[in-house]
Amino acid sequence: MPGSPPDSAPRGGRPDAFAELGLAPRYDIDPAELERAFFERSKELHPDRFAAAPVAERVAALSRARALNDAYALLKRDTSRAEYLLASEGVTIGDNERIDPELVMALLEEREQLAEARQRGELREVERLAAAMRARRSEALGRVKELFAHLSALSGTSGEARAEQLAQIKRQLILLRYVARYLEECDAALDED
Amino acid sequence: MLLQISEPGQSTPKEACKPRVVGIDLGTTNSLVAHVADSSPVVLAAEGDPLVPSVVHYAADGRVLVGRAAQARALEAPRDTLASVKRLIGRGAKDLASVRAMLPYELEGDDRAVRVRVAGGRAVSPVEVSAEILRELKARAEGMLGGPIEGAVITVPAYFDDAQRQATRDAGRLAGLEVMRLLAEPTAAALAYGLDRGSRGLYAVYDLGGGTFDISILKLVDGVFEVKATGGDSALGGDDLDRAIAAQLAPLSAAGAADPAGAPGAAGAPGTAGAAGAATAAASDDLAQRRLVAAAVAEARRVKEALTTSEAATFQLGADITGGAAIARAVTRAELAAWARPLLDRTGKACRRVLKDAGLEKEELDGVILVGGSTRSPVVREYVAGVFGKEPLCELDPDQVVALGAAVQADVLAGGQQQAVLLDVVPLSLGVEMMGGIVEKLIHRNTTIPTGATQTFTTYADNQTGFVIHVVQGERETVDTCRSLARFTLRGLPPMIAGMLRIEITFLIDADGLLKVMAKELVTGKAASIEVRPSYGLTDEEVERMLLESFDYAEEDLAKRNLAVERVEAERILAATRQAFETDAELLDDDVRAAGEQAMTRLAEAMAGTDHHAIRVAIEGLDLATKPFAQRRMNRAVAAQLQGVSLEDAARRFE
Repeated sequence: MPGSPPDSAPRGGRPDAFAELGLAPRYDIDPAELERAFFERSKELHPDRFAAAPVAERVAALSRARALNDAYALLKRDTSRAEYLLASEGVTIGDNERIDPELVMALLEEREQLAEARQRGELREVERLAAAMRARRSEALGRVKELFAHLSALSGTSGEARAEQLAQIKRQLILLRYVARYLEECDAALDED
Repeated sequence: MLLQISEPGQSTPKEACKPRVVGIDLGTTNSLVAHVADSSPVVLAAEGDPLVPSVVHYAADGRVLVGRAAQARALEAPRDTLASVKRLIGRGAKDLASVRAMLPYELEGDDRAVRVRVAGGRAVSPVEVSAEILRELKARAEGMLGGPIEGAVITVPAYFDDAQRQATRDAGRLAGLEVMRLLAEPTAAALAYGLDRGSRGLYAVYDLGGGTFDISILKLVDGVFEVKATGGDSALGGDDLDRAIAAQLAPLSAAGAADPAGAPGAAGAPGTAGAAGAATAAASDDLAQRRLVAAAVAEARRVKEALTTSEAATFQLGADITGGAAIARAVTRAELAAWARPLLDRTGKACRRVLKDAGLEKEELDGVILVGGSTRSPVVREYVAGVFGKEPLCELDPDQVVALGAAVQADVLAGGQQQAVLLDVVPLSLGVEMMGGIVEKLIHRNTTIPTGATQTFTTYADNQTGFVIHVVQGERETVDTCRSLARFTLRGLPPMIAGMLRIEITFLIDADGLLKVMAKELVTGKAASIEVRPSYGLTDEEVERMLLESFDYAEEDLAKRNLAVERVEAERILAATRQAFETDAELLDDDVRAAGEQAMTRLAEAMAGTDHHAIRVAIEGLDLATKPFAQRRMNRAVAAQLQGVSLEDAARRFE
């Protein structure tokens, strides 16, 4: 039986997910553009296109299609795309990162509210809490976008300024992980009916 | 890049010699086979009847009847006439506890697979029964298309798990079909609709069949069909509605329809009064009860179908069937709607969840497509219109649309004219069991296939030399609420203290949605490694043995068939290789060319003989000899696609 995964580094450390889609690496990417690139590449690489090819080509095509699908899945979500870009700068997020104590207190309180609402079966309250948390997520994602914009403006400047910018992005992404877990719990509560 | 298939004996591949490939909808209630004739798909109908009822009758003398002929025996021999086996395929006794009470035939088996004991004492598996239906469809298609079928796309409910998919593929192999692809039913329907109407946009496909329910949301853009999310219930369908109606109107004691005491894993009839008393009923009562169940369910279906066009219908059972007074009861559409409501609400919940998974509001959908015979009912249509807030589309026959889409996909795979690309997803998350019965998910639901994931684990005890890997599928966080797919052990690990070893587990899912699991020990590099396909279905050896046993294929026939198959494959590969050598000559080194030519000569020699193994070996030899060339062709195709990356760079990247 497996024990806990010893690696806490984010998964999916594909060498170059952006290149897989023929795109330049950047955070602020138009979802429609990403999708267009994915569809175009899929038309070329989908295993169906190689159904009648010799075995070696079929096998190669299958792994190419896998790499493409996995790259798209990674880049499609704002949070995983941001974590991926951060990782490519050498900044990774572990499972037990520390966050600001005040934030911890606020989050703990919100979790308690959710647990209570869940226990009492107050689905409207769960929905209200989820909506509040989604607003928090949008706000954090907006902040991440700004920070990445600053980061690219910093290219060519001192390492220190960049490092500080990266650290700020990392703080937002850690918060977003908590938010994601919270929203998952909300979904689970709403699914129970 | 697409290589065309050529007929044996022809040296150049031609569009004209279209391969005989078909699409098969293997349904719970009815099955169909379709083919793309010129450019549009048609269902192959025998005597004007496109449907083959998914019913198989096993006669005492060993004969097997399929379709209408089998259906005609249902009342007289309910135990030997198997309907709705799709509900059993790839499932264990535990999964079927609630269904078995309402089946007119007996189930036996364990948690891995069930069998049905039929006339003559034979125990048949759902895979074998499904293979009988597929053989019938194959024979129909071969008769109408005038030659052997070279390949088939078989549809499965989108919500089928890995075990159910494996078992369906095994049924195809057992029927002697080359299964080109397993295709999700709603995706097939979208393909038929999309190409028919040239649609673009976001569509929901609501597929309520005889025994399964799927809901998928797809995006259609310029020949790409991307499944955004899928959901459903692989044990919910029109059958359940028939049973609900029958239970309302006929004096059914569910225990009479349950297994006799003593059958392994007998579940009894949960929550039904009188269960204990009926368990001791005499065998004749048991048969009478089975007959009653079969007749009441058939009559319920008739009434349900009658209510599609009229507001009221009469449910009738004769005294000979009920064993008491005859029944004649008027049923209104409103009553049907009330009885259907609990089932429909389950579909509604799945619809809302899938919208959420796709990150969409119902208002963003461009249309809702109805699939499956059960969606003919106005009760269902009104419900769906209510859930999505728009009138559903049903221009294409909901019974035929899946088979039509499957035929289109078969044509695509055989190198036909359509250029559709299907991007389907995994319906249920896949993971491994961790200490404490917790599931660690490696692949999440709604991930586009093919896909893969790798994660590293460690040992939890000192000097542990074996490592059990339990593969599960499902959304819940604990193992006991997920579907167990496979359990295997990585042995011969070097003894070390807990937490020191690194075991890498890789899940790979192919374009059929089928899973392969690999495990490797990383630290010592001693490479204790293992590769398995979950074996819920059958092993290759089992399929081979069953093929040999079945009367359709005596041993010689099998050898002949293998020879024919290998010759076709060899011819195809020779033609493809020759063409590739010509068009991409600049990618060919002298030594690879020489090795390739030599391997081609060997293959041509092997083809002239009658040993199919020799041909297989020569095919593999050719594959091996041309591998560097094939790799370069792939790389170049890929490199050409990399915008902003020079060809030279791309070539380096993939070498």
